[in-house]
Amino acid sequence: MRIDYSVDYPVRLQASFEVEGFTVLLGQSGEGKTTLLRAIAGLLPAQGEPFGGLLPQHRAVGYLPQGYALFPHLRAWENVAFALPRGPQRRAQALELLARVRLVDVADHYPTALSGGQQQRVALARALARKPQLLLLDEPSSALDAATRDEVMAELISEMHEFGLPALAVSHDPHLAALADRVAVMSGRRIVQHGSPDEVLSRPGSAAVARLLGHRNLFAARVAGHETDAGITLLQWEAANGITLRLPQQSELAAGQLVQWMIAPTAVRLPSLKPDLHRSDNPVTGRVESRLNLGVHFQVALRCGTERLWLAAPSNLVRHHGLETGCEVTVDLRSDGLLCWPHLG
Amino acid sequence: MSALVDVQAADGLPRARSPALVGALTLLLIAGPFISLAFATHWSTFHFAPGDMGSIGVSLGYSLIALVLIIALGTPLAWWLARQSFPGKWMLEALILLALLTPPLAMGILLTTLYGPYGPVGGLVTDAGVELTNSAPAFVLAQFYGALPYYVVAARAAFEGVPRELEHIALTLGKSPWQTFWLVSMPLARLGLAAGIALAWVRALGEFGIVLILAYYPQGIPVKLWVNLQDIGLSAVYPLLWVFFLVAMPLPLILGLASRRQGLF
Repeated sequence: MRIDYSVDYPVRLQASFEVEGFTVLLGQSGEGKTTLLRAIAGLLPAQGEPFGGLLPQHRAVGYLPQGYALFPHLRAWENVAFALPRGPQRRAQALELLARVRLVDVADHYPTALSGGQQQRVALARALARKPQLLLLDEPSSALDAATRDEVMAELISEMHEFGLPALAVSHDPHLAALADRVAVMSGRRIVQHGSPDEVLSRPGSAAVARLLGHRNLFAARVAGHETDAGITLLQWEAANGITLRLPQQSELAAGQLVQWMIAPTAVRLPSLKPDLHRSDNPVTGRVESRLNLGVHFQVALRCGTERLWLAAPSNLVRHHGLETGCEVTVDLRSDGLLCWPHLG
Repeated sequence: MSALVDVQAADGLPRARSPALVGALTLLLIAGPFISLAFATHWSTFHFAPGDMGSIGVSLGYSLIALVLIIALGTPLAWWLARQSFPGKWMLEALILLALLTPPLAMGILLTTLYGPYGPVGGLVTDAGVELTNSAPAFVLAQFYGALPYYVVAARAAFEGVPRELEHIALTLGKSPWQTFWLVSMPLARLGLAAGIALAWVRALGEFGIVLILAYYPQGIPVKLWVNLQDIGLSAVYPLLWVFFLVAMPLPLILGLASRRQGLF
């Protein structure tokens, strides 16, 4: 489903993108993400499609606001039955919807007696009762415990897949984007990038998008020149003792231009266990500043000049190299993992 | 002061004694008049003065009519003030405060000026055969003016306490604004509305100043108490006073206790 909306008030924004399956619209606070959802639901004046010009009660959307907004004076099943027509089948239909989100056993509970995840699923069942063509979710992962968040969200997403409904979730949480079928990124109150999570997460279209996606290895450098024959562009990383980095040629960058570049921590390679299988692209030497043990792999922070470079590597490799705090190591920044954009501002 | 904070509460924090002592004294001051009434009443010769029963009927019947009018006219106004914002709204708010703060005696005089036989409205309706002084309509009118501002202020606060988001969600679930009002706003505001109704009931039933000037007749309980006090003496008013408490208090006490028990969800 194609979303194409523009809003003038309370913030001016324009958004045009495709919603397929579970789509996450990522953006920082203040980008107007909630405003966009409310506009699509018809709760504030806006122009756009779908549903353009209809009153909110005539729009076939299921809106799950942040905090879920269950009616506190109604039991779980009555909340779900709210949108159902009156009749003898009402309770049975509501229970059927609650069964689809596996909550029949709390049907007679009031919302205050439900956990955050349960409230969210009751809100989902209530929205489904309205037979929507599109689900709108505002920060669906924000009110959940960090420990259970991924599990609850994965469950919610698989439920939405079962129902076969397109869903648009707005969030500032890159974790949620990783679980989505499609990601759109909002910056400067418009859509700056959209695509599959893999595409967007691995190749952010700008430094702002990279920052929004939670990438840590984001640095400034200066274009040193191009080696057209070899098809490479050279960057001078001044903050790290002026070392030169080589990346696939980006002809649009002029020599001397200030750029921002990034590399995923997984593309920062420790020397291989079998030496010299391939040559180094960009050897960089740094001192180990800290190590985070994440079980099967480590995240290691290297001090390179005034910057801190993160690498992620399997535990056995980290142990093999004896990476203790304070020791020096030379890593390789893979050329094809380097991304680079003109420095803005 | 240390001697006053040595009692440990159940949660382990020191519990100050001085507020409890002052609180007990204040409660005693509040209870004093009611206790003295119980002792002052001559229970063995308990009897009503002539006309007391009639005044009970007048008070109950007309207060009920006034209450219905207050709810019917005050609720839309309270909703409008709670949900709409427009330039100059503060003037409407000030007007309601003015009505609330005007002393009853002054309000009685204002109403007589407007609705009295020589007033602009009073003159018109007198021509149509309706007396708006010393009549049943005048009595209801006096109670209406006395209690309406209290109800509007309480009901407005009750509606303002209903989250807009829940009303919006009801719209997205396919309900019309009217259905949303009845299914969401009213149930969620019900405790505050109940408090407003209780307050309006007590104000209407106990209204003396406005009634005295606009509708001395028919005599309701407050005016009859005053007349008994003047004609017979203090001991003659106690039986009617007991009845006053009996008829005035059950509704607000039940509504008040119910809202305390339930909390606001």
